[in-house]
Amino acid sequence: MTQRVQSIVIVGGGTAGWLTAGIIAARHQGRMKSGFTVTLVESPSVPIIGVGEGTWPTLRSSLQKMGVSETEFFRNCNAAFKQGAKFARWTTGADDDAYYHPLMLPQGFTQVNLAPHWLGGNSGRTFCEAVCPQGQLCDEGLAPKMITTPEYQAVANYAYHLDAGKFAGFLQQHCTTKLGVRHVLADVTRVNQSERGDIRSVDTQQAGEIAGDLFVDCSGFSALLLGKTLGVPFKDCNDVLFCDAALALQVPYETPDSPMASHTISTAQSAGWIWDIGLPNRRGTGHVYSTRHSTDDQAHDTLMRYLGPEHAHLTPRKISFRGGHRETFWKNNCVAVGLAAGFLEPLESSAIVLIELSAKLIAEQMPANREVMDIVSARFNDVTHYRWGRIVDFLKLHYVLTRRTDNAFWRDNVDPDTIPDRLKNLLHLWKYQSPWFFDEFDRLEEVFPAASYQYVLYGMGFRTEVEPGENAGTEAMAARLMNDNVALTRHMRSQLPKNRDLMKKIFEYGLQPI
Amino acid sequence: MSNIVLLDSQSHRKLRVHTQAAARFGDNQRFVAVVVNEFHVLAMHYPILFSKDADTGQFYCGAMLGFDAGENLFLDEHRALSAYRPLNLQRGPFLTSGPDLAIDLDHPRVAPSGDQELFTEAGEPSNYLQSIMGLMRDLRPGLERTRIFIDTLLGLKLIEPVTISARFDDGVNREFTGLYTVNRDQLKELADAAVLDLFRRGYLQLIYLMLASLDHVSVLAQRKNRSFLP
Repeated sequence: MTQRVQSIVIVGGGTAGWLTAGIIAARHQGRMKSGFTVTLVESPSVPIIGVGEGTWPTLRSSLQKMGVSETEFFRNCNAAFKQGAKFARWTTGADDDAYYHPLMLPQGFTQVNLAPHWLGGNSGRTFCEAVCPQGQLCDEGLAPKMITTPEYQAVANYAYHLDAGKFAGFLQQHCTTKLGVRHVLADVTRVNQSERGDIRSVDTQQAGEIAGDLFVDCSGFSALLLGKTLGVPFKDCNDVLFCDAALALQVPYETPDSPMASHTISTAQSAGWIWDIGLPNRRGTGHVYSTRHSTDDQAHDTLMRYLGPEHAHLTPRKISFRGGHRETFWKNNCVAVGLAAGFLEPLESSAIVLIELSAKLIAEQMPANREVMDIVSARFNDVTHYRWGRIVDFLKLHYVLTRRTDNAFWRDNVDPDTIPDRLKNLLHLWKYQSPWFFDEFDRLEEVFPAASYQYVLYGMGFRTEVEPGENAGTEAMAARLMNDNVALTRHMRSQLPKNRDLMKKIFEYGLQPI
Repeated sequence: MSNIVLLDSQSHRKLRVHTQAAARFGDNQRFVAVVVNEFHVLAMHYPILFSKDADTGQFYCGAMLGFDAGENLFLDEHRALSAYRPLNLQRGPFLTSGPDLAIDLDHPRVAPSGDQELFTEAGEPSNYLQSIMGLMRDLRPGLERTRIFIDTLLGLKLIEPVTISARFDDGVNREFTGLYTVNRDQLKELADAAVLDLFRRGYLQLIYLMLASLDHVSVLAQRKNRSFLP
């Protein structure tokens, strides 16, 4: 007899647990009447780590599909707009060294690749400026939409900065009251397995035994189910990405009306980098660094120097982490999502987007029964491996293009032995052709599209050779698109409000659903 | 820009106000906010739609009077009092502040040459001022009723965007965006209980007045085309 997959048990209740619960429950609402259940078991005593305050635009559709009101989300999670990231001092370390990785695609990206046209021209503009308005919007502190723009719709593509601790609580409320997710506050004391190794149930101290057909491990770094119970080892990637500690500090604004950036500011330091993100009520900052290249005291001084003497009385919180991921993500009837699957430095806000993509894949490919589960899990592992690999490559890209030599951290980062072969090959290839379609980033849901590679490569001064005559066929179209971009930039700058002003209006009036 | 003060029978005893419709007095609006109490008379002349306040993003109801910014195709009728003039145009320089009447002293209608006095020789409110007080008694609760009507429709997902676009005899294609109307398909899908509730609250009638009023768009377009005739 086939064993149907009807009851999903999620262990762990942080961002990963509740996002996964919400995405699965929303996708399978129709089956709830016929016995499909989503149960989330959360320890009443384990604190939420609250990783990542940066997200990708995918979160907009994830929240919308779950039936969340964007206005409520802004108000309850201290969320704010994010239009991309500004990377300062990554290339030369000089004061004026900075580039944007915006969230808008280059103009006409699906029709023509503007990169060779920009490379072959001499407009005097940066790549980002030449192909999309968003860098200038960020420079001027403008919001990506207006108060009349409906919820989840954008004038300029956007994601969010958010308070991860509040986000988990907000999702919990939504999942339990609107989506029928069962919430069990209990400590898991024992994991019960069948003969072939499947997880049959978990025993809990407060709520007895909880059985399930599919278990999702969202238990954080401890990886209680996939790691501890099923013995899937952790694969370290510290040989590629050196950072292994962070000092995090929440910083108040000077006044409640101080301007707030609508982009993440990432400023390179001698042995790592500092993040700086604007929430409505505070800034979230932190210094990510390599303990092989910096002492904790040095890192502390670096962060405090960045923040200035007015914040000298604040004490940052240290978080140590091991960059890497599980060797496999779905084993038997257990799949890991979030920190239980792995963690990488938050340079490109990959944590939450990876949770969404994993949860969506589980929800969309939900195996009907145990017999077909291994087919689905093999796929899931293949795709998820690919994603982690691409994220590692993309993060490393930020380091290998540096010309900084002021610290062994930067010199070690360009050591070819620390660069994954795949990235090495791509860098070789990109000397002669720029990434676009037909490159290998062709998966249905690529974490970072070819456009992201373009923004980082050409933002950091990488040059791709342009063959004589290569641009001839698309010259007119490219010129038109670049002119369109100038007009669009002018239009958006005249139309869009200041980021702070729009946030205040959202708190006061809310955004309309349509 | 504006200088709004509470109306006072002593300090404002000598004020006079222009009441006739004219572009220079601010009647040149292509879309003017209206309240649900007016729908039945508005629907005889104008398309009634929803739009969003540019400053707050909140929905409001409005009557469409023209196609281009600053174009009121009904100015003549309003001046001749031959077509209903929306309350928001009738109220001229007056506003309410809680239960009290306020006036914008910098409004172009407030001038010594105005055709109406506010107070009589004896210091009593003039007939004109009394009519304004009456108007405000309609307008103030009307705003609240309109807000509840809109919230109800939003909750039922009954509001949808609509773009009014037409090609005119001057060869120019005009698009009027940022407008919304009632979603007919969604209306048909409503559960019986919701329909009954809308009916009992008088909202079903308002909805059908709005939908029927959309036919005035073509009448408005003909009116505009006539303005291109030599």
